[in-house]
Amino acid sequence: MALSSRQFVNICKRCALRINTDPANSSLLSNSTSPNLKFYALLSHAIPIQYKNNSLMRDKNLFEVSYQMREYGLWGLGGKKNLDTAVSDAEKIVGYPTSFLSLRCLLSDEMSNVALHMRKLVGTKHPLLKTARGMVFDGNHNLQMKGLFVMLISKAAGPSPQDDFVHEEMVSGVYPNQRSLAEIMEIIHTSYLIHKGVVNLESVLPEHGPVADMEFGNKMAVLSGDYLLASACRGLAKLGNPKVVEEVASSIADMMTAEFTNYTDPDGKQMIPQSCQGFSDWLKQTYFSIGSLLAKSCQSAMRLAGHSDHFKNMAFAFGENVSYAEQLAQDIKPFTSADELPGLSLTSAPVLLYRERVPAEEFTNLERLWQEGPANYHEIVSLVLKSGAVSYCKELLEQYRDKAISSLDCYSESEAKSALVNMVNAVSHVR
Amino acid sequence: MATTGSSGRVFLRSLKTFRRSYSFVRTLPENINCAANIPATKDFEVFPNNESLIRRLHSSPTSFHRCCRHHHSHHHHGSQYCTPSKYQHTGSICPSAEPNPWCSIPNQRQLSSTSPQQLRNMKVCSMAETDPYKIVAKEMEDLAPDICKVLEVDVAKMQHMSQYYFGLGKAFRPMVCLLMAKVCNNHLNIGDDVLESQRSVAMVAEMLHTASLVHDDVIDAADERRGLESLNKKYGQRQSIMAGNYILSKATMLLAQIGNPQIISLLSTVVEDVISGEFMQLGSKEDENERFQHYLKKTYKKTASLIANTCKAVAVMSNVQEDLVDAAYEYGRNLGMSFQLVDDVLDFVASKQAMGKPTDADLKLGLANAPVLFAAMEYKELQPMIMRRFSEKGDVEYARAMVEKTDGVKQTKMLAARHSDEAIKKLAEFSPCPARDALARVSKILLEREK
Repeated sequence: MALSSRQFVNICKRCALRINTDPANSSLLSNSTSPNLKFYALLSHAIPIQYKNNSLMRDKNLFEVSYQMREYGLWGLGGKKNLDTAVSDAEKIVGYPTSFLSLRCLLSDEMSNVALHMRKLVGTKHPLLKTARGMVFDGNHNLQMKGLFVMLISKAAGPSPQDDFVHEEMVSGVYPNQRSLAEIMEIIHTSYLIHKGVVNLESVLPEHGPVADMEFGNKMAVLSGDYLLASACRGLAKLGNPKVVEEVASSIADMMTAEFTNYTDPDGKQMIPQSCQGFSDWLKQTYFSIGSLLAKSCQSAMRLAGHSDHFKNMAFAFGENVSYAEQLAQDIKPFTSADELPGLSLTSAPVLLYRERVPAEEFTNLERLWQEGPANYHEIVSLVLKSGAVSYCKELLEQYRDKAISSLDCYSESEAKSALVNMVNAVSHVR
Repeated sequence: MATTGSSGRVFLRSLKTFRRSYSFVRTLPENINCAANIPATKDFEVFPNNESLIRRLHSSPTSFHRCCRHHHSHHHHGSQYCTPSKYQHTGSICPSAEPNPWCSIPNQRQLSSTSPQQLRNMKVCSMAETDPYKIVAKEMEDLAPDICKVLEVDVAKMQHMSQYYFGLGKAFRPMVCLLMAKVCNNHLNIGDDVLESQRSVAMVAEMLHTASLVHDDVIDAADERRGLESLNKKYGQRQSIMAGNYILSKATMLLAQIGNPQIISLLSTVVEDVISGEFMQLGSKEDENERFQHYLKKTYKKTASLIANTCKAVAVMSNVQEDLVDAAYEYGRNLGMSFQLVDDVLDFVASKQAMGKPTDADLKLGLANAPVLFAAMEYKELQPMIMRRFSEKGDVEYARAMVEKTDGVKQTKMLAARHSDEAIKKLAEFSPCPARDALARVSKILLEREK
């Protein structure tokens, strides 16, 4: 059953719809991506789903072409060669990116509905637009990578030790339910990103534009986030393993917890509470917001294949430590590269370590500088650099990276394992 | 592929049940056999199709002469099909000698000819006027505190926000769920107690419902809920959404702890249905018949699915045979439909009594509920207003006036009464017990509620 022309036209239509939701003058497009290219990228994303659906990889050429478009056309921009290579190598190892559950979500009537309504949001300042753009154009491979970690560790752990598992079920060394789990995790993360963009209407300032626009944006954000979450619930239920459902649900609870610790105010802006415990709080916050989901997903992937408790624990440790390393690398970037300066965060690891190193009044001074806005970012960076907090951060980063890599020791050598190591090195790379 | 197959089977099964429960179907002439008019999608579409079929056949006002004597007395101009009396099952059953082929309510003769056992069972609702809540008082007592315990976390604000609404509402859904659990357990002589896992499902039902309310209030910009300032008003939209998600995730964990994949699957369908119902509410259909279908499907997904599937879940856990699991589901589905239809009526009626002036919450949100849809069948000028979601000045007032002019409210009540009757009928398949009487009463009380 090849891709029928009607199906093809439908997919094109829907892709076109989605592309139209991007404002033509967005900063994204000035990044040398033409709308046309993006169209192809979306399309190439769309084509393999047909192969998945009829599980016949017949027209391999088309698949290959579309696949390459996706790799080089959309994602391969900028100077992130290391990461790009690691990710594309890893994708080849696991066959195809994920189970395309998220794509099915995107192509559903519900999401098309949202896409249609989102046109009205174009030109407003609602964060949902930025999140939606991020979904199409994910320069840091953030979403893609999370799923890849889960699939690679599944492959590295190998087939189930129990006899009653059928090896033929595996595609490129990954069980279908592990693949689904990887996708479910990506969907959960996406819905979290979308819900994080809900705006408190009381905090809307005049320069954000009319409140009605924001209200409408909220509506779309709540609905689309909920839709994704519901799809994730359904996907989880289909895995048929209550323990896995419980683990993944608990990681959703953890993510929500991250929004109520005092490191963000009710509007989602960063702040440092009086009760700050320094770096241990950073670890906690990072675990809640990103670590828990990845760690518990890796652990659940082991559970789905019936692996030993030792494998489960190691997979958990891997997911947790990778998250710390990745977040540390992200946090350090604004201090080492001028391009990344706008990404400076008050709750980043270097700032919290700075707080531990200097007298209270000096930190109050830094907080004051932060409140005054981005003009002072240069000064903040030089203050923190001088204290030596950044180089200590780099040491910590290496420790967590090494911990992550050594938690893979229990798995025998394989291309999946070395791809994992490559990816860990790539995400924890800082200049 | 597998899904389509199984839903097809479900449909066939429901069609059989439909035929069994509507003996009048057999009296219909071949060419208007109901089955031919029911699209083979979901069982909840059975009702409306039959409805519109009857409407079409009755397009001339003279046709109601064909109805039985008893039902004839209930007829009014503008309502072309038979009015079900709410006392239908209590003994004052239509004495007519001639069965009405169009009337959906079986009369006494048809009932007695089908099964005397069933008729005896149907009298349940005229029995003891016990308060349904009393029968499950023991199980309900600690429900809210137990839910709050599940939601405990060492982040004070999140705990407070997620526990905010519990213990304040009617706890209608868990009550129905627990009663159904008792009915099923009694049927198998397991005893009068509710299983721990069934109680968990009742808790999950209330948690899922509350989580959806929290999100709904953000979407609809509601300021008040359960007599309190709404969470979004008090703490802002952003954290309200997070608190709602937290409740959902904790409900999912509680559900997973029961350890039964089938139950997890049932309740995950609910989550999916609730949100897809929310999406359906965003749009309407151009075509009149399709629009009513759309409305009923939305109502099923948004309201009835939760009640139906939780009833089914407790039935599954008590291990009753499959047709009783279906009966439990059907009871819940009909109850849920009836519940929402009465809600729609109250949106027009109660607001007027309580506040002295109409509030029309649904209309103001741009939603065309059942009374408006009924009114639009007579007054076509309402159609463009429905499509533009009553967004222009004067639309809401006009729609309201049209509903008052027609008997949209009455027709909605009738439809609600039919679902309520249908729900009670499903109970006949279970052996009698106080909980069963209570469920029958719940279905009747719903119709009379004012809040």
